Amino acid sequence: MKRLKFSNIIIYLFLSVYALLYVLPFLWMISVSLKTNAEVFINPFQLPKVFQWNNYYVAWNSGKLGIATLNSIIVCVITLLASMLIGSMASFAIARMRWKLSKPAMAYFLTGMMIPVHCVLIPLFIQFSKLNLTNQLLGLILPYITFSLPITIFIMTNFFRGLSSELFEAACIDGCSIYRCFFHIALPLAKTGLFVTGLMTFVNNWNELLMAMVFISDVQKKTLPVTLTYFVGPYATNYVQMFAAIVIAIAPSILIYCCFSNQIVDGLTQGAIKG
Amino acid sequence: MIKRKITALVLIAVMSFSLLTGCGKKSSDTSTDNTDGVVEIKWMFWDDLTATEDLMSKGYAEVIERFNEQYAGRYHCTPITTNLEEYDTKLNALVAANNCPDVFICNPGPNLTQYVESGTAKDLTDILKKKESKWYDSFTEGIFERMTYDGKIYAVPTNFAAALVFYNTEIFEKAGATIPTTFTEWIATCEKIQGAGYTPISCSAGTAWCLSMIAGYLCDRAGGPDNLIGVNAGTVDWTSESFLNAGEKLVELSKYFQKTAAGDSNDQATASFYNGEAAMLVQGSWAIGQINGNNPEMEPKCGVFSFPAIEGGADPNRMIVKTDNLVMSSKTKYEDACIALMKCFTDETAQKYTAEVGGKIPIIKVDYDKEKAPAQLSYVMDILTKSTGTLGFYNESLASVEAGDTFDNSMVDLFLGSISVKEAFQNVQEFYQEHVWKK
Amino acid sequence: MDKIFRNKLAIILFISPALLLFTAILLIPICQTFYYSLCDWNALTSPKFVAFDNFKRLFIKDKIMRTALKNSLFFMLFSAITQQILGLILAGILTNIKRGRNLFKNIYYLPAVLSSAALGLLWSFLFNPKMGINQILAFLGVEGPLWLMDTKGFIVLPMWVIAFVALWQYTGTTMMLYMAQISGVSKSLYEASYIDGASKFKSFFTITLPLIKPMIATTLSLNCIGSLKFFDLVYNMTQGGPNHRTDVLATHLYNEGFQYFKYGYANAIGVVLLLMCFLITVVINRSIKIKNYEM
Repeated sequence: MKRLKFSNIIIYLFLSVYALLYVLPFLWMISVSLKTNAEVFINPFQLPKVFQWNNYYVAWNSGKLGIATLNSIIVCVITLLASMLIGSMASFAIARMRWKLSKPAMAYFLTGMMIPVHCVLIPLFIQFSKLNLTNQLLGLILPYITFSLPITIFIMTNFFRGLSSELFEAACIDGCSIYRCFFHIALPLAKTGLFVTGLMTFVNNWNELLMAMVFISDVQKKTLPVTLTYFVGPYATNYVQMFAAIVIAIAPSILIYCCFSNQIVDGLTQGAIKG
Repeated sequence: MIKRKITALVLIAVMSFSLLTGCGKKSSDTSTDNTDGVVEIKWMFWDDLTATEDLMSKGYAEVIERFNEQYAGRYHCTPITTNLEEYDTKLNALVAANNCPDVFICNPGPNLTQYVESGTAKDLTDILKKKESKWYDSFTEGIFERMTYDGKIYAVPTNFAAALVFYNTEIFEKAGATIPTTFTEWIATCEKIQGAGYTPISCSAGTAWCLSMIAGYLCDRAGGPDNLIGVNAGTVDWTSESFLNAGEKLVELSKYFQKTAAGDSNDQATASFYNGEAAMLVQGSWAIGQINGNNPEMEPKCGVFSFPAIEGGADPNRMIVKTDNLVMSSKTKYEDACIALMKCFTDETAQKYTAEVGGKIPIIKVDYDKEKAPAQLSYVMDILTKSTGTLGFYNESLASVEAGDTFDNSMVDLFLGSISVKEAFQNVQEFYQEHVWKK
Repeated sequence: MDKIFRNKLAIILFISPALLLFTAILLIPICQTFYYSLCDWNALTSPKFVAFDNFKRLFIKDKIMRTALKNSLFFMLFSAITQQILGLILAGILTNIKRGRNLFKNIYYLPAVLSSAALGLLWSFLFNPKMGINQILAFLGVEGPLWLMDTKGFIVLPMWVIAFVALWQYTGTTMMLYMAQISGVSKSLYEASYIDGASKFKSFFTITLPLIKPMIATTLSLNCIGSLKFFDLVYNMTQGGPNHRTDVLATHLYNEGFQYFKYGYANAIGVVLLLMCFLITVVINRSIKIKNYEM
């Protein structure tokens, strides 16, 4: 019993020290966002002398963060829902259904993960501007879904494969249709997987800059990562307001993340391991 | 329960999809005739017009506003903005998709050359010299030199900036230092300032072009205009005597940079000057706004002198300058609107702003209010009137963007001490042998 | 039973939305990429076919390509090994502790939620000689190295620094995936082993590890492909400098394509990158599958 306590202390100590590595940079980021530009260069690590709350106000207004946040939410939520649905459908077909081409199909989807986005940027842009899809949110949503699919399919296939086949067999004997099998048995069981991939998809798209920058010109349709670059000027960078904007921009990420992570914990406790 | 949830999700997804596709139909082309007869043109720029702190960008925002007011009902200009890093990427994508903005801003040198050679930029010679000769005459003489290819003008400048040495008069006084005119004197000045406990020169090697600007000046002071003309024509080697001399001088001078120069960014280097830690800063005149804006107390004690001469070198009165230029797309349907916009950028109101607020140098002959303009600008103008010639930034005067980068990177390597002077210029020489001179 | 899982209509219904999107948005541009990699093209004028010239130049003459290859491979090996080990250890510990599991997991995953651009900027501040770690070292009387500008060694210091930051940022993802997979392991298995007298430590090796093997293949491929394609942090921390010493394949591609407008050449690098990713995935999946059969 005593030995166990000692090892517990070591474990918690390790976890806490490691956690500090993660927390400190963020605290620093917040402290910078409350300084003046000159102050940042003189004492980067001290607390600000006067808290410049105004930075947030200015960043919100001049960065037009309101409309940008709305756009980002629209784009990311639609992408999230669509890619999870489409992706898990395809993964289910690949992982559990029996057909000849399932392996090639998997390989085909996986290539998507290997493509550097810079390579397809210009061909895709030319194609989209012919279809009149540039400069609107749909023109971002479609590629975002597509680029999220490989990783969704990759991870979800794994989850579906890991489910025990007895479950499905039993369901089939009960006269379950394949659609019921998917929506009522497979999806709920792979909930943890869905949340993890959903989180990854959301985060990736929430932070995507290059495509958003090139595809959208209209100020009213820009997404958050694009507006963050507003503070980088040609000859000088406005650090404090940029950091304020970054703090504003990551808040929804963290919020969404907390909602999702609780779900994952539910999954964990409902599932297998306890303490 | 779950079924209902999922059906709801699917419904939401489908509905939002159709909603978006519905909205999509209304999308517009780059430039369009609106139903009410207003001509819509696009202007592309590398800084956001509302969030920016840059005084020049703010001036541009005013120009656009004024244009839209003045021509209300006839023309309307919508700016497309990105940040500097993604500017070229986006512009090229737009050009490739046949969607080029009607007017866009462009750096001189290889960047402009590229748009000229690909036929993206419109030849403005006829318009400037015949149709609008009055406008053409308003410009300062010789300002079109770097925008002229085979006698044809492809761009219109909006302002220009000159690079020189800013210095802190207070530190100079305390250290008993005087303004140097030659390199030897400059080193002596640095010694004195170091002795007084200050950093002599603030420079950034983390931002390569800042160091390269000093290197470019030294190359020009050592060999004059022949150096630049020579290497681009293939008649002078990068390993020739005067380049090596410049390299040695750079190494010598870099001993007086702040200790952290290797990692400091441009913003940091400028900050340590306006915070009074360093005595000198080699920068373009665009830094004036940044210096005065961040530390207003600096304005009265900030002096300016011309980059010192190298003994036995070339003409010491040449200056590095850089213009911002407007290029008109060769595919634009609304030439008149574009010209009207370009005129707005170069009229008296805009140019007065350039000098009085922006701290940059006007490109037309204009009488601005010297009282209003930052103090440093008049020093810059004084030096400029004495100058015997101008040159572009070295990295923007070489054969290609890549050649400029090779030069910048070799200078950074030299500064870091990882290669010798000879090796540094040998690098550039090799690049030229392979990519430039062979053609 | 078998019949149901061979339902052709269902398969088509399940797979076609993904397939259609994929083909329209990725396949067509990729084919164009392959074609452009054989062209001299600056995206402004029309492409000129030059056959394999780009590839020849890439492998014979391009010195930066060699550095980029070296750095990318280093980065891949480093990330794969460290992220796997650290991710697995953290997942193992966190699933086994009683209190604070949620808190620690949330903290470790935090940076994966944020944009690499912002984090790159933050870390470049911290490794900046004037502002960050070096100030703390100077306080202790040690002169810190030039973290992001050092030029010595086969793998330069800045590359190690970037690899460390990447480890910091992405371990959370690997950990999360492992935790999700471990949660799928049936509770009764552990209970049985505890009754047999196995310690938690031992049951981790005998039960958890073998059962999450498929996830090892997944995370390993994700790590490797992710680090071969790695761009954001390098671009935001060093931009490939000093003098291209920290260039990786993706930044080299970006420079050639979007700074120097050699779009055809950049696409050739893209093709090389794609083939490398493909090769790695095949190798990983092959080797891990073989082990599965051995079991």
